[in-house]
Amino acid sequence: MRNTLNTALVAFFLLIAAPLLAQTPMGADDAVQMADGLYANGKIYVVVAVILTIVAGLVLYMIRLDRKITRLEKEA
Amino acid sequence: MKAVIALFKKDLLLEFRQQYTFYGIILYVASTIFVLYLAMGQPEDHVWNGLFWMIQLFVCVNAVAKSFLQESRGRLLYFYSIAGARDFILSKLLFNVLLMGLLSLVSWVLFGLLLGNPVQNGLRFMGVAVFGGLGLSLVFTFLSAIAARAQQGAALMAILGFPLIIPQILLMMKLANTAFSQVVQGGLIQICLLLAGLDLLVIALAIILFPFLWKD
Amino acid sequence: MRLSWWKIVCILQLLIIAVAGLIGDVPAKPILNETIRNYYFHVPMWFGMMIFFTVSVVYSVKYLRSGQLKHDTVAVEFANVGLVYCLMGLLTGMIWAKYTWGKPWSNDPKQIGAAIALLIYFAYLVLRNSMMDPDKRAKIGAVYNIFAFAMLFPTIWIIPRLLESLHPGGMGNPALNPGDVDSRMRILFYPVAFPGWTLLGVWIATLSIRLKKLEEKKLHHA
Repeated sequence: MRNTLNTALVAFFLLIAAPLLAQTPMGADDAVQMADGLYANGKIYVVVAVILTIVAGLVLYMIRLDRKITRLEKEA
Repeated sequence: MKAVIALFKKDLLLEFRQQYTFYGIILYVASTIFVLYLAMGQPEDHVWNGLFWMIQLFVCVNAVAKSFLQESRGRLLYFYSIAGARDFILSKLLFNVLLMGLLSLVSWVLFGLLLGNPVQNGLRFMGVAVFGGLGLSLVFTFLSAIAARAQQGAALMAILGFPLIIPQILLMMKLANTAFSQVVQGGLIQICLLLAGLDLLVIALAIILFPFLWKD
Repeated sequence: MRLSWWKIVCILQLLIIAVAGLIGDVPAKPILNETIRNYYFHVPMWFGMMIFFTVSVVYSVKYLRSGQLKHDTVAVEFANVGLVYCLMGLLTGMIWAKYTWGKPWSNDPKQIGAAIALLIYFAYLVLRNSMMDPDKRAKIGAVYNIFAFAMLFPTIWIIPRLLESLHPGGMGNPALNPGDVDSRMRILFYPVAFPGWTLLGVWIATLSIRLKKLEEKKLHHA
């Protein structure tokens, strides 16, 4: 149950993020230095993966806590 | 209103009878300023101004703290049964405003004697000092009521009050700064109105919230 | 167990913002450069904080009117979460300021306002912890919460008028103005980033409230 829920969540956000992945991350005025290199060689996705892992970890932790408390409430 | 005045008179009488509290706080002001004088000599204008308001702050905490802490539980109960919470807080506010106004004058005179007097426009500075002392005493009177109910001393009052008082202190310093030169600056009236508005807000909150502190 | 719909919405929003916040399209601005993406993470902390402190004060008023301790529990837990968000907002702001303004703390009005809020709510917790009797603690805590909240808002309004600001959205720096954030970013901020982070805080607060209730129940049984 939990796994299916999580897989569904991951699938859903990938679906939503897909069009954003395809976009070229360049601003209108190119004179300003942006982290274009990071985007060009794909290293930005490493950062995305790291942050995603952290957020996912936090969310899983929250869900676990929520369940634990719900169980305690039922017992009480 | 009659009850407010009666309670106010009682505070005043008590103060006259046991003068040690008043003289104690005067001595506190004098010794602090003397230590400052030994440490700093005669500082520049803006340092002078900053020190003045810091001293005001500490004087206020110490002077106002006892307004609720000095009353015993039984006596508070007695006042409550004859007067009601609103009258009580109003009389305390009134008394402390007067006390702090007086102390502001005292500390201004002592500052002038010991640390030099860089103030060009003495009358204006005096007005600002008294007006500022008024605002400080209002906030700290209410906080001393909270601290007293929590059975804590002046330290808790400082913790509770200092963050709340920062904007007022900044406004007052700005207002006082204008008294250091003869140049007239704009926006003064706006700041005065702002401070007066804050004072009114504090009074209104005190009147609304104090009865809740009281009920037991 | 099924998660409530708003928790699922919150999770989705957080996951979307973790990805789209980093690889989405943003305007290129001098000084800000890529740090403009902080908008999705730093700013929601403040929005969330405001909401949590407001909820806290509403429940303090409710407590004073009803005298029910459960309202006080809500007030204190929301103040806790608001405090965490305030701390996070301040820290992320300082990291950001280090690389754009050159130093982490520059007495900016927004920083001072945040620091004041932090001090006020820490004082609130100290005040509460100084009392043992739950009813008294709740009552005095509620009074201070309302008083402090009513004083905090003039503060946040006054201080920027006394000091110049460098903060984006302030008038001090012409390169940084509200126009920096264009519609591409707004479309990600208002429907996703802001409610996502706020809902996370609400989730944490509700969990703490439930936990506290359980603890009280246990005490009653023992």
